[in-house]
Amino acid sequence: MIQFIATIADNFSDWGPRLFEASRYTLALTLSGFVFAFVFGLLLEFARTRQHLLPRHAAESAIFILRGVPILVVLYLLYFALPGVGIRFGSFTAGVIGLGLVHGAFIAEVLRAGLQAVPRGQWDSALSVGLSPFKAFRLVIFPQALRIVLPPILVAMIALLKDSSICALIAVNELTLASRAIMSETFLPLHIFVLTGLFYFSLAWPASLGVKLLERHLRSRAGKPARRKNLTGETDAAASTVSERISSQA
Amino acid sequence: MSDFLLQSLGSLLNGAVTTLGVTAGTLTLAIVIGAAFAAAQQLVRFPALHFAIAAYVEIFRNVPSLTYLFIVYFGLAYVGIRLSSLMAAILGLGLIGGAVLTDVFRAGLQAIPRDQHEAALALGLSPFQTFLLVIVPQARRICLPPLGNYAIGLVKDTSLVAAIAAPEIMFNARQIVNESFQAALVYGLAALVYLAITCSLGQVFKILERRAAY
Repeated sequence: MIQFIATIADNFSDWGPRLFEASRYTLALTLSGFVFAFVFGLLLEFARTRQHLLPRHAAESAIFILRGVPILVVLYLLYFALPGVGIRFGSFTAGVIGLGLVHGAFIAEVLRAGLQAVPRGQWDSALSVGLSPFKAFRLVIFPQALRIVLPPILVAMIALLKDSSICALIAVNELTLASRAIMSETFLPLHIFVLTGLFYFSLAWPASLGVKLLERHLRSRAGKPARRKNLTGETDAAASTVSERISSQA
Repeated sequence: MSDFLLQSLGSLLNGAVTTLGVTAGTLTLAIVIGAAFAAAQQLVRFPALHFAIAAYVEIFRNVPSLTYLFIVYFGLAYVGIRLSSLMAAILGLGLIGGAVLTDVFRAGLQAIPRDQHEAALALGLSPFQTFLLVIVPQARRICLPPLGNYAIGLVKDTSLVAAIAAPEIMFNARQIVNESFQAALVYGLAALVYLAITCSLGQVFKILERRAAY
């Protein structure tokens, strides 16, 4: 055990900088993938709630397919199959798009649950005070839904961080690929992969703890007391900020 | 062309057998670990054990599956434990799944109201009987939907096993593409095979949930 750690320490001057460099790619993949996923998820959820059959069915089948196949298949299709029809992505771009598509479908499901949890009356009253449907969504519905969906969406972001390792298989030079490269130079697989695991852990674990704390915070403060106040006719903190924002818009 | 399609489909379905085998093995291992640890959390009052289980869950939930597959397949071989790629896949994914299911089962057990314990104890059941005869049957119903989600996610995660050379769907697909350069066709076909598996598994769990309902 001591020798194991000593070997890692001996090699750290060589491995460390390379792994830190690679974790920048991992982080970049995660963040851009997440932004893509969130926007795509919103779009899917928007399309799914339209009156027209076409966007609704398109969104639903996209979600169905993306939720049913592994990320690896999506990445391979983007990276190896699309060049066949003339669309060529770099491996990083393909990774961002692949991660974004798959996690976007998941985020769309989370958003649906969150939006359905906002009472129907909120829509009716927002529209009846003269807000356009878009403004009603942006100023009234979305802020309330966000409180519900924030923890699961952040969990999705951590899952995306872990899934970014799969991009190694389409040659994005992130942590996992870098560690494989080091392994084939040094033939110390156990050392390098345990060290890589530590890198991932030190990225994902604090985030997981943060989400747990946030969840507890949202449940304790934004949960029951606010609803009780609403019943007595008083406005709670969240509602007043919404009305303030609306009046500042008007 | 249709010859090529049939041949590819045959090879992918061959891979699907491996995929299903890895899924079944992993699911069994994960359920055993998850049930044992969740039960231990409920029944055993020994702080060190609780800490160890919590550490296990955090360590295995916050590192990518691929890293664990590499540790189990390449890392263990380095210290002399040489596993076949299928065994390594089941062990690696099973340990991760055990952490996921420990959390799932714990949440299910904790969701049973306190009165159920008290009522069962008041009837004269031992704490162990209470757990086995009163709590677990009710928690099973709560755990079924997340267990189904885990199983479907697992089918998708087995595609990573291709990276340690287990001949499952994606590994076979990759080989066909290397020979034929028909990437769109073969990977599209692979996507259909995965969709068929995940859909049927979803239906199976739907039926199980309906049976378990009141």
